[in-house]
Amino acid sequence: MAGEEESDKKNGFKVLGILDVQNTPCAREALLHGSGGSLAAGLLHFLATSRVKRSFDVGFAGFMLTTLGSWFYCRITNAQLRMQQRLIQDGIKNKVMYEGTSLDTISKPKEQEPSL
Amino acid sequence: MAHPSQLGFQDAASPVMEELLHFHDHALMIVLLISTLVLYIIVAMVSTKLTNKYILDSQEIEIVWTVLPAVILILIALPSLRILYLMDEINDPHLTIKAMGHQWYWSYEYTDYEDLGFDSYMVPTQDLVPGQFRLLETDHRMVVPVESPIRVLVSAEDVLHSWAVPSLGVKMDAVPGRLNQTAFIASRPGVFYGQCSEICGANHSFMPIVVEAVPLEHFEKWSTMMLEDA
Repeated sequence: MAGEEESDKKNGFKVLGILDVQNTPCAREALLHGSGGSLAAGLLHFLATSRVKRSFDVGFAGFMLTTLGSWFYCRITNAQLRMQQRLIQDGIKNKVMYEGTSLDTISKPKEQEPSL
Repeated sequence: MAHPSQLGFQDAASPVMEELLHFHDHALMIVLLISTLVLYIIVAMVSTKLTNKYILDSQEIEIVWTVLPAVILILIALPSLRILYLMDEINDPHLTIKAMGHQWYWSYEYTDYEDLGFDSYMVPTQDLVPGQFRLLETDHRMVVPVESPIRVLVSAEDVLHSWAVPSLGVKMDAVPGRLNQTAFIASRPGVFYGQCSEICGANHSFMPIVVEAVPLEHFEKWSTMMLEDA
């Protein structure tokens, strides 16, 4: 099982020989959104103006903007999730360590009644 | 550790290395988009039939290709500086270990509580057992507790060395007569390999570093055992 995962990681597809799309979070989605945006923008421009070369330029600009936008949005969301995950992990660790003590933020230890 | 013909980073074993990996992906995506843009422009320039021998200047395009690179550089610089200062944060270490570089081995000193020190030599190829890694294994590993901030003071006894563990995101030069400090937190238990990263003589390639992160109780048992053996 571990061997199969390792071979998948080794064989990740690199766009332009640079970006490993399979193993980089958000990369695949960003490129797919970019391709869709590029197609839509180029096609709409061509349908409106019938200018082929300019439509290619517009399509490419659409690719750049959509890829960047999707990439940043996905990365920011990812970063926020990672931050929350770390806070939850620390919270669980602190809860386990300090439960029943005065440092427990959730449940305070019961006050003992003075004996008569 | 690295697998054969690996080009990218190893999996992160510390929070700092995770951040470095994410920053690397971010910078690489920007590089990819710039490369695609340049490629597209080259193809467009080569395939166009339009020519104009009398173009002198154009304010608009000059503004675009000045402002846009500045914006791109800011987009790269901001996360980069964030990580730079994150790596320099004072993090109240639970343990301090001294790593001293020698020709050609590392020695580790755990002097916080008791006087514990040992040398770490590479296991020669002929002495390896099946499952061990060639040129990476050592006879004694630097054992640390997992999820604890560890401070490493790096120096050298003879010539320049460098203490590096890629999966922990740590590299620090070992300079004779100077004490350099670095810190890391091993976020998961495991064995993490590194190699000397400053040319130091004939056996520079044969003085690896092995860090073993274990739960605290295992670390305590290990340190007790090492003290008894000493």
